[in-house]
Amino acid sequence: MLISGICANLRPKRSCLIRIQFEDVVQQFRVIRERPDTLREVFARLFRGRSHYHAFLALKNVSFSIAEGESVGIVGRNGSGKSTTLKLIAGVYRPTSGAVRVNGRVAALIELGAGFHGDLTGRENIVINGLVLGLSRQQIREREDRIIEFSELGDFIDSPVKQYSSGMYMRLGFAIAAEVDPDILLMDEILAVGDAAFQQKCMARIEDFRSRGKTIIFVSHSMGSVQQLCTRALLLHQGVLVADGSTSEIYEKYEEVSQHPIGAD
Amino acid sequence: MGQLFAEIRQYRELIWTLALKDLRVRYKRSALGFLWALLNPLMTMLILTVVFSTVMRIAIDHYAIFLLSVLLPWTFFSQALSYSAEAIVSNGELLKKVYIGKSVFLLAAICANLINFALSLLPLIFLVLVLRFPFHWTWVYLPVPMLGLIAFTLGCGFLVAAANVFFRDVAHIVQVVLSAWFYASPIIYSLDFLPRKYYLFFRLNPLVYILNGFRLSIYYGQLPTPQSAAMSLACGFGFLLLGYEIFRRYQNSFVYYV
Repeated sequence: MLISGICANLRPKRSCLIRIQFEDVVQQFRVIRERPDTLREVFARLFRGRSHYHAFLALKNVSFSIAEGESVGIVGRNGSGKSTTLKLIAGVYRPTSGAVRVNGRVAALIELGAGFHGDLTGRENIVINGLVLGLSRQQIREREDRIIEFSELGDFIDSPVKQYSSGMYMRLGFAIAAEVDPDILLMDEILAVGDAAFQQKCMARIEDFRSRGKTIIFVSHSMGSVQQLCTRALLLHQGVLVADGSTSEIYEKYEEVSQHPIGAD
Repeated sequence: MGQLFAEIRQYRELIWTLALKDLRVRYKRSALGFLWALLNPLMTMLILTVVFSTVMRIAIDHYAIFLLSVLLPWTFFSQALSYSAEAIVSNGELLKKVYIGKSVFLLAAICANLINFALSLLPLIFLVLVLRFPFHWTWVYLPVPMLGLIAFTLGCGFLVAAANVFFRDVAHIVQVVLSAWFYASPIIYSLDFLPRKYYLFFRLNPLVYILNGFRLSIYYGQLPTPQSAAMSLACGFGFLLLGYEIFRRYQNSFVYYV
């Protein structure tokens, strides 16, 4: 798609800055039927002389651009390549071929609290998680109080994280990620956590991000929540970008794709 | 190499925090806490001293200091290497979710053990004072073998950390190799005890030059020959270059295998 095409969709008076650009991206995984985890297996394989890998294409020649201030939903069924796309944006994967260009700081709300250490307190985990997400110690010190307040953990903040309920765990994870204040926010179905009141707080926070012109990428297989958050959506099906358009357009297409049985091409 | 220093600079706060976390978790819920870092080498030294100077009657004056002068750097090396083997694999879940320089976890593991090593020097100093052993001026030479030791440990650490991602056997092999390496290095004994014909074998062990620097300056109050000093640095940085190069080459594939 032409860059000028995207900018035309944007609100006027905003300079157009491309935040994310995928150019003919192919992501191949080697799916290993029996993974040689040990040397013995490698030797055994050498003698048998055949490979147990087969190539699996998670993304097939996907191209798109996302500009500053857009909030884009990525929808598709299980195994369509949504999470792979997100991980490519986050820099966790490198594309097998093609190019992924990301301009700005990315924070991923992918499985909140990944990397929390159970033996450490909530407060200690704020520091580690904040550093992992790219904040400096100084910035964390300034934001610590706000993070604790947002997480509603109260005195539990000084208890080891392993004693937290899963809701508390998620609340702390979201509170930290929200304070990273990224240019690009990646979300993977995280709003399914926490009680209704906290979910609303999260939504308000995301709304706030949007109003400040941040780019939001939201991955989901529920079209409903995408419509709530995004104006534009990308529909992936079996690794192919089938459609790219406004959420209402994609809504209908997604219905069609959903009828299509998995594995039938 | 420049890339390594750039990563250290970029992630210095995270490396330091992870290293401290490592130590805090290691000593958490133990009554003596950080004291274990001091007690551990003392206990090991006590056992080995009783075995070798009382039971086996090795005739070395102040065997405790003779031993401790190289046992401490050895302990740092062997513990750091065991930690390194798991450094990438044990942080796999995080690597799959957030982009982060892969060397961070290895550097943090080495850094934690380095702090432990620094703490373990206190019992050595304590012992030197209590036994009224002379404090040789050659202690000032210690930064040289220390530098060689850190570089060598990092190099080996990068190698085993990368290899263990692809073959989990490596962590087990490391343990076996370390226990053989301990006896193959002049730690509990001195090279002077051995017939000259075995010297070639010891020359092939890069750790010998490094440990030699520690023992000469702490126990004998002498400086090593310039060749030996140069070898200890050359081995250290040679292995660092090799290990980091291999690590760097494979680091982008780690995420698919952890």
